[in-house]
Amino acid sequence: MHREESQSNYGTISIHNNVIASIASVAANEIEGVKNIGTDLKSKLCYLLGKKTSAIKVDIDTGGYVSVEIPLVIKYGCNIPEISNKVQENVRLALEKMTNLSVKNINITVQGIEKD
Amino acid sequence: MRIFTVLGIIFYASILILIGATLLIFSFNILLPQDINQLFVYLQNSLNSRIIVGLSGLLLILVSISFARLILGGYQREKTIAFTTSSGEVTIALNVVEDLIKQLSNVIPEIKELRPDVIADKKGIKVELNVVLKSEANLPELTARLQDITKSKIQEVLGLEEEIIIKIHITKIIAKEDKDKKRKEPEKNESAIPFGGYGRV
Repeated sequence: MHREESQSNYGTISIHNNVIASIASVAANEIEGVKNIGTDLKSKLCYLLGKKTSAIKVDIDTGGYVSVEIPLVIKYGCNIPEISNKVQENVRLALEKMTNLSVKNINITVQGIEKD
Repeated sequence: MRIFTVLGIIFYASILILIGATLLIFSFNILLPQDINQLFVYLQNSLNSRIIVGLSGLLLILVSISFARLILGGYQREKTIAFTTSSGEVTIALNVVEDLIKQLSNVIPEIKELRPDVIADKKGIKVELNVVLKSEANLPELTARLQDITKSKIQEVLGLEEEIIIKIHITKIIAKEDKDKKRKEPEKNESAIPFGGYGRV
């Protein structure tokens, strides 16, 4: 697992990719119209093995820029582009506020629509 | 990506041509079983040739896997609608659109069942609807209404201004008699309770 590192006067501060994924997950769920975070094969297999993992993919390039891929399930009746824009904006704000990292891309994949 | 696909196709075509040519040579008796045997014996005896054969096999497997992934990846990409915003890319799986259309069967009471198939290409979004109807439905009016509702719902939810083509296939119409029969059948069963008439004489 990749860790984003920064140097302080006392030592190194590392932020694990899982932390970035968790922040993105919480920020995405805050938006009205998001039903839940989607799944991928890896997270499904981990769930079967009794381990919870997020399907959110985090990538940090050599320049320290973060790219996040978020699979979403959206509530029926909501405007998908509007919700996606709000999620991207909220995730960007949350990541910048909590980690001081520069966000390059927040890619959204709408996997499904569900009724309440 | 396209260069890799072309190279992959050329590679597989060459291998298939080679196999075909070998089979032809074999059928014309130009290549004898002894020759093939000698070749295999030669390859087996030398350590270097065995290593080369093994590495070639490994390379072939790796090339096959990467080529299959390339083709399947391209196929999966076509099953989505994508657009870019200032913060990144938004990809919408086509099954989302299918789920959305399925919900419309609750809106129109004349529809018994709705099975959509959605394809997205450069021209726009193509929707094929397989519909099971109830008998009292007026077909021209209903299909026109269904097309309008489907189109406006997709545009409303996806917010896209691409062309949407909607084709409707009515696969079945459920007759009213069938429904009535189904309702009556349980009543008949109720009257046929064993020893139900005992004690009334």
